[in-house]
Amino acid sequence: MTSARSQSFVLGLIGVSLFLIAWEVIGTYRLAGLTWPPLSTVLAFLTTPAKLPLFGRAAAASFTSVAIGYLCGACGGLILALASHLIAPVRPGLDRLVAVIHAIPSIALAPLLIVLASADATPPIISGLGVGYIFYVAATSGLATASATHRDLFAVLGASRFSVTLRLDLPSALPAIASAMKLSVPIAFIGAIIGEWFGASRGLGLLIVSAMQNFQIPLLWSAVLITAVASLAMFALFSLTERLVQERMR
Amino acid sequence: MTAVVSISNLLRRYWAVALIVVGWQIWVSAAGLSSIVLPGPLAVATDFAGDPLSYAGPAGLTFLVAIAGLLLGFLLGAGLAILSWSSRILNGLLTPLGLIFTSIPVVTLIPIIARLLGYDVRTVVAIVSLICFFPAFVYVGAGLRALPPGSDDLFRVFGGSQLQRFVRLVLPSAVPNLMLAFRLTAPEAVLAAVVAEFLMGTDGLGYLFRKAAGEFDTERALATSLIATITSVACFGLALAAERRVLRRWT
Amino acid sequence: MSDKPAIRIDRVSKTFRLGDGNELSALVDIDLTIAPGEFVALLGPSGCGKSTILRLVAALEGATAGRVTIEGKAPADLCQSHRLGVAFQDHALLPWLDIEANVALPFHLAGRSVDKAQVKDLISLVGLAGFEKARPKQLSGGMRQRASIARALVLEPEVLLLDEPFGALDAVTRRQMNVELQRIWSRHSITTLLVTHSVDEALFLADRVVVMSGRPGRIILDLPAPFARPRAPSVMRDPAFHDMVDRLTEALEPEGAHA
Repeated sequence: MTSARSQSFVLGLIGVSLFLIAWEVIGTYRLAGLTWPPLSTVLAFLTTPAKLPLFGRAAAASFTSVAIGYLCGACGGLILALASHLIAPVRPGLDRLVAVIHAIPSIALAPLLIVLASADATPPIISGLGVGYIFYVAATSGLATASATHRDLFAVLGASRFSVTLRLDLPSALPAIASAMKLSVPIAFIGAIIGEWFGASRGLGLLIVSAMQNFQIPLLWSAVLITAVASLAMFALFSLTERLVQERMR
Repeated sequence: MTAVVSISNLLRRYWAVALIVVGWQIWVSAAGLSSIVLPGPLAVATDFAGDPLSYAGPAGLTFLVAIAGLLLGFLLGAGLAILSWSSRILNGLLTPLGLIFTSIPVVTLIPIIARLLGYDVRTVVAIVSLICFFPAFVYVGAGLRALPPGSDDLFRVFGGSQLQRFVRLVLPSAVPNLMLAFRLTAPEAVLAAVVAEFLMGTDGLGYLFRKAAGEFDTERALATSLIATITSVACFGLALAAERRVLRRWT
Repeated sequence: MSDKPAIRIDRVSKTFRLGDGNELSALVDIDLTIAPGEFVALLGPSGCGKSTILRLVAALEGATAGRVTIEGKAPADLCQSHRLGVAFQDHALLPWLDIEANVALPFHLAGRSVDKAQVKDLISLVGLAGFEKARPKQLSGGMRQRASIARALVLEPEVLLLDEPFGALDAVTRRQMNVELQRIWSRHSITTLLVTHSVDEALFLADRVVVMSGRPGRIILDLPAPFARPRAPSVMRDPAFHDMVDRLTEALEPEGAHA
């Protein structure tokens, strides 16, 4: 068992290393043209002291958007899910509303938001809408997972609607909510970046698009790499949380 | 009678959406906003109704590009999942990479792909297929390993060959997951296509939108948004219908 | 009946290696011979290793010590020549195939063309005529088990292995299925190994009942079930049947418990 596990860990490590080596080799020998820099060039560019303030400012702006969007989206999604769980008649309408808002391509939402709010408020809002959708869907289905037997038990014990929700439905929904925490991480980043593509004044998304248009290849790859690594780290953290919750709830 | 029932049904489902549209119209009319800043839904609808055909071409192109990218991405993703299923070593090498790429915002790779392949409609297809590739790889990979309980023992006792096991057991087992990935990814494919068109200025809804926004033709920009939404919903609806149909047959 | 045994389990032991590095001894020195055409029931408490014996005969596991042979050859050979039939507690019907296609599956796995008449006969033999086009999810638990028994018999196997086939059914359906299986088996008389924890079921169906003790599994009793075939459900009301049920139940009691 343990040997199979360590074996798959080693294989995974080799896989990731091969990927990074391929990135380096393709860049060094220009197998994919001039617009594919070797990994070492990107890393060197990233760690140039002169560039640090640039990346720092951009990352701070984007990560703030991600954090605000994530928190507001998570709270909003959970509150709406609770509302549709407690007040049955509003459920179909909320379901449709959430689905329709989710279906609007963020590209279409962005200009509306720029008018309604402001250019700098757009990234966190798009991010929050995406995150809210995931939380709403996961929480509504999670709140409905408690078994019929448990429900009967609570009914026989004369529990109020409120205490059923608090003591039965919410705990049963925790694993689904923990999954939503993990799955909405890349969504939060995508929302913030796309929001910035529509005229934010700073942020990694802006950096990415201007680097693309001006052929600043190492800058382009560096900005994307920062975004990817940040998302990956947050995803890993929440995967751990998810595992803890699922083990506790089993 | 049935008309009353269906209207009340419609209201039950769409009251929240209707509320937002009506509120938007009232707000625009009451505040007297100029249509460059924000036109009301009526103005947008009028603009669309005035020349619906001018949207048909770009919408059709975006739809086709999204479908082409979706299918290509699924073909590659499912193909690699099968390869990785057949080899334990390949599986060990690829699984963490698949996980990594599903946990990063792949949409941010669009500018990199655009620079690598050039501003072209084929690049849009490549971008869409990249976005669809990872979900297909992950979900189909999981499906290939989710066999009905006991079926593996059954095939061994009945002396099925490895090929038969693959064709008659493993592949069919992955179909529900394949359809699930299809439904989840279909709207993302349209989104990716529109964003890529917007960023690169190639033809399609994304370009139409960019042009309208650049000319401050807000009515047209919002109408384009509406069409993009409808295209995305249509893709989702088609995928959902396909999934339901297949699942009825499959489970 | 020839003298050559159909199934020979020759001083077999089985040890499982656990995840924490410890070993679990599941079977110790099991010796069992099953004659051609004989129906043997393996009876024992859960976790006594009776299913492991069946899995050894089905070539799903390998023995740690000793040897299992079917007609003098390794069980895997029988699998390869498609002469083994099996039904599990979990029906293991494929959800994407209808009943007819599920029952016909062994033909495909054997690379033979489907004998449609045979499939149809077996479906009606197990009482599922009219449900050929139904999907597994549309049937009740008992009906699914009937289908899985039809599938086990469709190639007319030399050896039939039944692993708690009715374990998930309610008592009434279970008894009814026992009666049906008895009727079907009387028609085919295939060498059969049934694993069960129901004393009634073992006694009603088998020619011989072998009782096992728990952990590690050993054979503690080997009794013939001397009731004439075909057996009617009324056999179960026979005083002799009751006496044997009592004896077997007593043998199943864990040591130290009051008889």
